Amino acid sequence: MRAFTYLTPSAPTEVVEMLDAHAPDARVIAGGQNLLLGMKDRSDSPAFLVSLGGVSELEGVRAADSGELVIGAATTYATLARMEFTGWHAEIASVCGNLADRPVRTMGTIGGAACAADPRYDIPALVTGVGASLEVLSAQGVRTIEPSDFFLEGGGTSLQPGDLLTAVRFPATEAFTTVVFEKFRQRVFDAALASTVLALRVGDGVIEDLRLTVGATTPRPTVCVTSTAGLIGQPVDAIEPVLVADAAAIEVLGPETSNDPPHLRYQRELIKSVTRRALIRATAIPRS
Amino acid sequence: MTQAPARPVASGVAAKLVGQSVPRKEDLALLTGTARFIDDIRLPGMVYAKILRSEVAHARVRSVDTSTALTMPGVLDAMCGADLVGKVKPWGDLMQDLLVGDHTPFAVDKVLYHGQELAAVVASSRYEALDALEKIEVDLDQLKAYVDPEEAIAPGAGLIQEGITYEFGDGNIFDRYKVRIGDIDVAEEEADVVVRQRFTTNRQAGAALDPHGCIADFDSFTGVLTIYSSTQSIYMVRDVLADVLQMPRNKVRVIIPEVGAGFGSKAQIFPYEVIAAIFSMRLGRPVHLVLTRKEIFQSGTARNGQVRYAELMCKRDGTITGYRDYIIHNTGAMSVWGNQVLHIGTNVGMLPYPIPNIRVDGDIVHTNTTPGGALRGFGIPQMIWAKEQLVDMAAAELGLSALEIRSRNVVRPEVFPFRTPMGHVIDSTTIYDCLQKSAEAIGFEEHTAHPTPYEGIGLAVSMKYTSCRHPSFDTDQSAVRLRLETDGTVTIYSSDVTHGQGHATMLSQIVADVLGVGFEKITLAQPDSLNSPFGLGTYASRGAAVLGTACRMAAERLRERLLTIAAHVLDADIASLEMSNDRVYIARLPDSGLYLEILAGIVAYRTHQLPPGFEPSLEATATYDTPTEREGADGSGNLSVTYSGAAHAARVRVDPETGLIRIVDYVMAHDTGVVINPLVVEGQHQGGFLMGMGMALGEDYLYDDEGRLLNASFKNYLAPTATDMPELDHNFEIPAPSLTIPGGQKGAGESGTGPVPAAVGNAVFNASGVRFTSLPITPEKMLLALREKERQGLSVFRFPDDMPDFTGPRTHAEWPEPDLSESVDFDWDSFDEIEDLELDDLGDVDGAP
Repeated sequence: MRAFTYLTPSAPTEVVEMLDAHAPDARVIAGGQNLLLGMKDRSDSPAFLVSLGGVSELEGVRAADSGELVIGAATTYATLARMEFTGWHAEIASVCGNLADRPVRTMGTIGGAACAADPRYDIPALVTGVGASLEVLSAQGVRTIEPSDFFLEGGGTSLQPGDLLTAVRFPATEAFTTVVFEKFRQRVFDAALASTVLALRVGDGVIEDLRLTVGATTPRPTVCVTSTAGLIGQPVDAIEPVLVADAAAIEVLGPETSNDPPHLRYQRELIKSVTRRALIRATAIPRS
Repeated sequence: MTQAPARPVASGVAAKLVGQSVPRKEDLALLTGTARFIDDIRLPGMVYAKILRSEVAHARVRSVDTSTALTMPGVLDAMCGADLVGKVKPWGDLMQDLLVGDHTPFAVDKVLYHGQELAAVVASSRYEALDALEKIEVDLDQLKAYVDPEEAIAPGAGLIQEGITYEFGDGNIFDRYKVRIGDIDVAEEEADVVVRQRFTTNRQAGAALDPHGCIADFDSFTGVLTIYSSTQSIYMVRDVLADVLQMPRNKVRVIIPEVGAGFGSKAQIFPYEVIAAIFSMRLGRPVHLVLTRKEIFQSGTARNGQVRYAELMCKRDGTITGYRDYIIHNTGAMSVWGNQVLHIGTNVGMLPYPIPNIRVDGDIVHTNTTPGGALRGFGIPQMIWAKEQLVDMAAAELGLSALEIRSRNVVRPEVFPFRTPMGHVIDSTTIYDCLQKSAEAIGFEEHTAHPTPYEGIGLAVSMKYTSCRHPSFDTDQSAVRLRLETDGTVTIYSSDVTHGQGHATMLSQIVADVLGVGFEKITLAQPDSLNSPFGLGTYASRGAAVLGTACRMAAERLRERLLTIAAHVLDADIASLEMSNDRVYIARLPDSGLYLEILAGIVAYRTHQLPPGFEPSLEATATYDTPTEREGADGSGNLSVTYSGAAHAARVRVDPETGLIRIVDYVMAHDTGVVINPLVVEGQHQGGFLMGMGMALGEDYLYDDEGRLLNASFKNYLAPTATDMPELDHNFEIPAPSLTIPGGQKGAGESGTGPVPAAVGNAVFNASGVRFTSLPITPEKMLLALREKERQGLSVFRFPDDMPDFTGPRTHAEWPEPDLSESVDFDWDSFDEIEDLELDDLGDVDGAP
């Protein structure tokens, strides 16, 4: 670790001022679960750390008038895991309670995970999967970014120096009948090797909206379009999990070739498996 | 006036402690976080050293320039390889027979592996030291790196270790190994079934949570160099360090802090100990040098990987008649222990079968990878992985069950001791009973009759040596000195480092029983080479059997002294005296007698009460060296004093959608002889299992084509964690007390590891029809194998051998032959004759200068 100056603002605007004052050597620190590891081995060495520890405005959960669920960027996984959300929002708590290990969940934050944008983390997949939007504050004011613009195709985020992610805005409970998150990892504390988010809205047994997203296997989560095309307007029973899952694997990683390296072949198999599981789980609920 | 409460007096005879699950003395400090490990020590004036390590695996060193680093703030000193040439002696072999000088504090002419030491700095703080490291200029000329041991010995391969003349090796072959027992050709001719398979094994880290590190503190007035080191053997560190620095051995003092595990990975000296010592001697200040996790992965030792071309010969009834193997043993860029791992692992790995015909050739090979070395099991898990899978393959061909073929072959003599053709002297064993118990407890018959899809059962048996006479040094000793203190407490002095084995508890149980002293009154002193009796250290499952025996002998000597004094004072017949509850008493009167503190007081302060001419000493020392043999020219020999049996049975479940393998049940039946503390032994077996499980299912050193280690972090080095463990609630001890060890103990520390990879491999085959020939069996390999097996429509499939992209030999017709140079047949008997020759005759001996 190299020497740094630790700054302790108490309001989001103050954070942004500090980031601007010390650009480009300042970094936001929330739970520190990524940044500190990088700083310890010197692969990351910001001169200034702007702590969100005293910025209480960035912590906690509230419902917006629109019905959106607004989660402060500095809200920890542990806090979210304990929340008793209604409807599909319960899956947010479930995801946050079933990742990494207890110390990481105690310190790590939802905003930190989004900004780290590690493709194997669950939060980028969940945010993309349900089409949550990301609220960003800078000296120029507040702007709201869609996941497809926040997470870059080649990896990383579109955040600029001086930007502060303040909240993740999840769609209202009415947006989906059910959201299912499935993943596979080798050890329980590992990041995912493949994950799938299936967000489904059903009315009178008919699919009104369906969003299938695959995480962990591409630099940013991939929203599957072609493999789910034509399903909207169909009865839920029309979903054939095996066919959709097989198509999704090809859509995400391309068609199989004879010289695919083993890991790519494995990823493709895993996408099929977790996607199939997500589809079966999601379609079982509205049917019953 | 308040009255002092009456002193509680224990009455009757105290129960014996050996055999009881006495809670460990060590645990309070560990559980309350008060134990002091190496990185907890702070000495006045202490400064911090850091090592610059190579980012490439194989290169010529053009230059290393520390001049800018020396000008950095806080920096006190810096050095690199060229600075020490001619000033320190290279090292490489065990203890003092430095036959191979392949180790130096820093790479001098060549870098041999990713992470090798290039330079070091010492500064007032570790941050300043790290800043200065970045200013060291290194100019390297990168060479082709050899990661694969078979590639390293292929014709035309570049030489890794240059400038070292090996006694028996050649090129990148560091040493050779052979076994010639019986007649393998006849065995093959007469066999009804021969099964053959190429197997490979992985590199595995010790992964002790307590890091490797030391603090060197040179006293320029007394000339004593004190090293606090997180090591398993103080005299190995002392003797080699003193030799490297050319110092008298009584001027190098090694002291041990709490050591948070080693598993074999701390059973040797490392460059950081030499570097810290030199800095401290140059500065006259204590120097702290503790490695990071990344450095430990890169430069600590790792389990030797092996390629085995293994064959097993059987008669129709299942009797094993022959074993043939050509082993390519990857010992990394350099290795202190590497060739011992192959010798001992293969010799003892033949058990529990008394195989009459054996032929083994082994090439111990250098690669540009992390040095190989000792790791729990010491070559036995690798051997068992190959052999116990061949046993299952033979059973399948013969139409026998995995239980039947093993029942027919495990050593089960009518008379003990029994000598196997390989030379092992089995002084007692219950391995047959352990096998039956493990099969019964896992539900072997039930599963065979009614298999569950994707669920499988696998058996494996092994026997682990209990301490051992290493081919490289002819000793197997440990010593204990006991001192009765003047208040009736007892101090145990030993140089064997306890680091998870519970020495303080186990030795106290022995001493308590022999001397009748209260368990709580016994203390184990920290190993300190200035005042601990000489011993080899803690490795090779030797604690309970070798150290425990030395302790029992010392306690019996002290008991003899105390009884002699008591007999004189009490005017009693010595044969009528007993010891219990902290006193010596006449047998029928356990509530009377002389307290130990009274006896100690007589020896120390009232010597006129001693028997006439009695030496007034409160100490007794004993050394125990096992009655073991050196390895013979044919590879045979009884290297171990006794053998611990282990029969394991695994039940695994394979997820055909993800490839995840769960060990849903695991049975261990062990013969650990007389168990001193069942709690400690069960913990050892559980820990041993966990390391075997890591070897089987996840752990490996991943290198890129240029030899860079890619997963030097717990984040992506896939060691199993608590949640991966099965319940392990089926542990059985079926003791056959050792007839050689006076107390009947057998080694416990490593017998839990040996059979695990093979038991899991056999269970995975039983569950999925996939025979894994390569470790570890990751979910990725499992799923790809299943998919390929389905695609080819096969019911039985080998991975990776039957994969379309496999490039190695697929059948034994393509197997390589060992290159047998003449030196392999070097005859030690004739060497003895050479020694008898006059000096003048030496010129005539072929090869002599």
